[in-house]
Amino acid sequence: MATESLSSARKVIVQLKATADAPILKQNKFKILGTDKFAKVIDFLSRQLQRESMFVYINSAFSPNPDELVIDLFNNFGVDGKLLVNYACSVAWG
Amino acid sequence: MMEAQKYVWEGAIPLQIHLHESEITSLPPPSPALILAPRIGYLPLLLPLIKPYFSSTLPPGQDTIWFDYKGLPLKWYIPTGVLFDLLCAQPERPWNLTVHFRGYPSNLLIPCEGEESVKWSFINSLKEADYIINGNCKNVMHMSQSDQVELWHSVMDGNLEKYIRASSKLKLGTVTTDEADMVGQVKAGKIPVRLYVWSVNEDFEDLEDAPEVDNWDQISYINRPLEIHKQGKHFTLHDALKNLLPEFFGGKSLINDEPCIEEGEDVQKVSSEDAGSSTGAEEGKEIFNQPVESCCNDAEIKLVRIQGIEPKMEIPFSWVVNSLKNPEHFLHICVCVKVPNVNAA
Repeated sequence: MATESLSSARKVIVQLKATADAPILKQNKFKILGTDKFAKVIDFLSRQLQRESMFVYINSAFSPNPDELVIDLFNNFGVDGKLLVNYACSVAWG
Repeated sequence: MMEAQKYVWEGAIPLQIHLHESEITSLPPPSPALILAPRIGYLPLLLPLIKPYFSSTLPPGQDTIWFDYKGLPLKWYIPTGVLFDLLCAQPERPWNLTVHFRGYPSNLLIPCEGEESVKWSFINSLKEADYIINGNCKNVMHMSQSDQVELWHSVMDGNLEKYIRASSKLKLGTVTTDEADMVGQVKAGKIPVRLYVWSVNEDFEDLEDAPEVDNWDQISYINRPLEIHKQGKHFTLHDALKNLLPEFFGGKSLINDEPCIEEGEDVQKVSSEDAGSSTGAEEGKEIFNQPVESCCNDAEIKLVRIQGIEPKMEIPFSWVVNSLKNPEHFLHICVCVKVPNVNAA
């Protein structure tokens, strides 16, 4: 248990997937520190897509709070060693 | 159980809301607004109640409401009761907050476009909870639009009966750890928990002397679901916290020796991985120093607060979850931990 909670400094692989009308990015995978907030993933996407607002989901299901830690999302919802992040320019899953 | 849930839903914080001085354009300045804020509610939803007190004195411009407590901008997506439990170690009644209608601090707070944003955040938290409990969030996603609206309105209005009706369709069940309780209840796999861990350096005996939270960096926002293992005995709140926060709980025997070594190894892996980049080595050193300090010294839990209560540690955790969880099915736990001062060591 202790090691699990202390491993937040490890890096997490984020797999990006465009949804609906969103453009597909050349770089669809990147590593991020587990201690970073999900907001950093959203920032990365808005910079890449040059959009101020977008909709970002985990596992085609829900939008996490931007303050949630990447490591928590990975531990709770990661699949095959990756955190699957879907992005869309309009609401994809209400 | 129902009775406790009713208390939670009826729970409210008396607020005394002052308009920030930079937004007062009239003399004499407006009196503060006295408002009861539901525990399970969210601050921006109070706009229709607060606005009439201050509308005549506001400078021209568009409203984007936000609040601060002693200068700390308040995160609007955290339920009001949790904010109070977290930021007022010694409960202050009425709770003195400052309201702003201008100058939204978008560098510190997530944008909020009124009720729509709060509803979005609530429904997505509900979906996240559904995902944790069931492994997917089809229950929430397959809800009809009108059912979703009904559920949201029940929360906005604090109407527990309407809420129970609307949420029964979600099949999110009740948590149980006892065979005897199993009848008619769904056994949930994991329990959605949001932890707010406030770390303080100074020791204090009395809550009155607790330091103030002046920066959100002092609070770790941890989302760690809990799996209840049936062990032939009651799974208590103490058991739950020990599982959720092993780094702070259980005393020396649990965290002092072995994990230190493991942690060192783990961190070294990180630092050697980063050593390639120019700043990496320095970062690695920082990571290396900090956790070892906090791990080998004793961190001490000063306070555990849920829905304004400091519950006894031997209470069955299933009761805590079923009675004290918020309507989006997350149990919010505020924890204050005294950690040794790293700089002083």
